[in-house]
Amino acid sequence: MGFSLGFLVGILGVLILFHAAYSTVQYRGLLKIMEEEFSGPPITVVAELLLGLVLSLWAGLTVPGTFLSIHPHSEENRIVALPANLDFMIFNHRGKVFPVEMDLKLKH
Amino acid sequence: MVGHNESSGKKSSEATNDVPTLNAESLQSNMKIIYYSRTFMSIIGGVIAGILGFTGLSGFVLYFLIMAVTSVGLIAKAGFQVHSYFDSWNQIILDGVLGGLLSFVLFWTFAYDIVHIF
Repeated sequence: MGFSLGFLVGILGVLILFHAAYSTVQYRGLLKIMEEEFSGPPITVVAELLLGLVLSLWAGLTVPGTFLSIHPHSEENRIVALPANLDFMIFNHRGKVFPVEMDLKLKH
Repeated sequence: MVGHNESSGKKSSEATNDVPTLNAESLQSNMKIIYYSRTFMSIIGGVIAGILGFTGLSGFVLYFLIMAVTSVGLIAKAGFQVHSYFDSWNQIILDGVLGGLLSFVLFWTFAYDIVHIF
């Protein structure tokens, strides 16, 4: 899979979440000095969390892969369904008399 | 749309009698993708709930909100044509929701401890 775009976006989202956590720790330290109660994180942290959530959601939806069609007759399942009719393939016919040009396919 | 799919599936299964009406490997792969997404999103949701300092019921409300958003995202990823990738709506909306709850609680308490207690 390698480092796809979604993976990098996910790393960025997680880093943003870590930064938000660090900011909250600092904010709590500030509150301790000012002797105030914690009522909720500052608005910048909330914005960072939202951004991190959106980025991670995008990464979480794209990185695991794409959905495959479950209909046996759909376009993308034609090659997957090929081994199902191996019993009906016949190679013992008059065409085998003619020489096969093996190199023809390799050149493509 | 749904009725049409079901009737055509039934007809083909009666006619050929042995060929499966859906590709089980693709369905399994799709379900695996859904589990990956849900697990990842429950971990992220747990970290967010911990940083926000949620305690008690509000954290669980956040979890189910995030799972709902993830469901919508998965449906959008399927191009809003759920029946060409899944058997039923339950597989994309409900499966794995309770399974991620434990990892959510783990990362929730983890982030809460790091940010708010230590």
